[in-house]
Amino acid sequence: MISLKALSKNSFKTLLIFSSITIAVMAIFLISSVSQGVIGMYSKMINTDGDIIVTQKGISDTFFSNVDIALIQKIDALPHVSSSYAMIVGASPIGHIPIAGIYGTTANHFPHYKLAEGVYPKEGEVILGENLAKQFVVKEINIGNKKFTISGVYSSEIGFEEGGVVMNIRDAGKLFNRSASFLLVSSSSPSEIDAIVGKISELSSEVEVKTTQTFVKEYNQFKIIENSSLVISTLAFAMGLMGIASVMSMIVNSRKEEFGIMRALGKSRLFIIKNLFFETLIMSISAYIFALLLSLGILAMLPHIEMLQGYVNGTLSLSTALYVFASTIFMALLGSLIPAWIASKTDPILLINQGCA
Amino acid sequence: MIQASHVSHFYGAEQVLFDLSFEIKSGEFLFLSGESGSGKSTLLSILSTLLKPSSGELLIDGESVEKIKNIDYFRQSKVGFVFQFHYLINYLSVYENIALAALEDKKQNIEKILEELGILELSSRYPNEISGGQRQRVALARALVNEPKIIFADEPTGSLDSKNSQIVYGLLAQAVKRGTTVVVASHDMQIENYATQIIRLKDGQIL
Ligand SMILES: Nc1ncnc2c1ncn2[C@@H]1O[C@H](COP(=O)(O)OP(=O)(O)O)[C@@H](O)[C@H]1O
Ligand SMILES: [Mg+2]
Repeated sequence: MISLKALSKNSFKTLLIFSSITIAVMAIFLISSVSQGVIGMYSKMINTDGDIIVTQKGISDTFFSNVDIALIQKIDALPHVSSSYAMIVGASPIGHIPIAGIYGTTANHFPHYKLAEGVYPKEGEVILGENLAKQFVVKEINIGNKKFTISGVYSSEIGFEEGGVVMNIRDAGKLFNRSASFLLVSSSSPSEIDAIVGKISELSSEVEVKTTQTFVKEYNQFKIIENSSLVISTLAFAMGLMGIASVMSMIVNSRKEEFGIMRALGKSRLFIIKNLFFETLIMSISAYIFALLLSLGILAMLPHIEMLQGYVNGTLSLSTALYVFASTIFMALLGSLIPAWIASKTDPILLINQGCA
Repeated sequence: MIQASHVSHFYGAEQVLFDLSFEIKSGEFLFLSGESGSGKSTLLSILSTLLKPSSGELLIDGESVEKIKNIDYFRQSKVGFVFQFHYLINYLSVYENIALAALEDKKQNIEKILEELGILELSSRYPNEISGGQRQRVALARALVNEPKIIFADEPTGSLDSKNSQIVYGLLAQAVKRGTTVVVASHDMQIENYATQIIRLKDGQIL
């Protein structure tokens, strides 16, 4: 087939187009995947462990929220509440590590962190996430201005939890000057959740109560990450697509002489367009597949890169993959076929002469 | 067979052909001579339908070129071209280059023509793997493959030494003997020995 011959004999041009498509497609995949991944991990952390979240009124960020832990007893006394726990989420230098997540929680939440070795922490003790544990061989570490004994190591499905430290909520309270950041409440009867939300709100005027689903949906940080990643990845992709289209049209221009010869030999415009169509299709599809595999490979490697401590994670959604596929092929075809169609209208001899110039 | 009437051509504002009218008869070996820049290539391109004249008309067998319904088929089947630079497709072999131009029912001629032009053994080589003289013979083979009624050649020997030039002229003369009309534009006066008619151009006008 003539398209395949053209591709393989003009290997430099083929390589140029191939790599420009690959890079554009990878950029969008990685940017959108990583931001989706970060959001996914955080919402999973909140979503899986409770139906209702109680935060400080007017404070949209769990890091800055401050809630009175005494509220827990009153909540547990409410009908249809099966369990509740309190958490303090903070960040602090730990030993020689400049910053790591600190998770202070009530003892009933410890089982969320699966022990890989040792025992759950008592007062003055901590357990380290598997990723963080790799960086310490000592028995004791400094967090803030306090010394803690390491009582064990835990693993977690949520990547960035493995880069952190878990301790008793009272210890965390001393570090961060609060009794709790937020409370999570579970109920055994899903139909009662809205009623419970209402009752908890009545308990205190200083808290905001939401179902975890609503909370995740409305969480500002997520919106910021989501929107900025959408903007960045859209820009990256738009630039990539323009790059693809312009490389394609550059290459079509450099082939004007060839098209002129074909027209002079009596080949129809359709013949030229058809061959170019297949060339473009073969190239953009294979570059897309290459970029997809490369991106999936990188995303699979991300959680294992020690430097990132599990904070960066990526998931590639099927809809993103399909969307990128469609627009890549579309732009590649647009970039090659339109200039070729216009060029092939020109008198053959002028096309040949333009090609020489 | 080809009649040019009042043909003029402009490139932008610059007029390069001035109201030319003449006729090419079937079976002729027409030599378009003139100095470089006199308008030979432009006129040849117009005569061979590869360029639309700014004004004037071209009649082929009494019919206006504008009215030809399938210009692609016309170019492929009735006309052969040889250019100064061979203009072979670089990613196709010698054989494939000729096959690209050939009508379905003329493909069986390819080997015979390659043999006649002495380049059969180059069939599977690529254009950048053969000499300039060989390339020009491939281009000639491509022009001959559909047994066109008329062959146009623009400086067909422009990039060849005199030995290879003689070979090309000889091959064109043979085509004329078989009844093909041949129009050659060149500033090489050697062709006078082969031509049956000469049109001399100077500054876009016939002398
Ligand atoms: N594509 C073009 N655009 C503008 N001017 C051209 C073009 N082709 C040829 N010319 C000009 O037209 C004149 C005739 O050129 P050409 O037909 O190539 O003459 P010849 O073949 O006799 O050398 C020259 O002055 C040349 O510079
Ligand atoms: Mg010329």
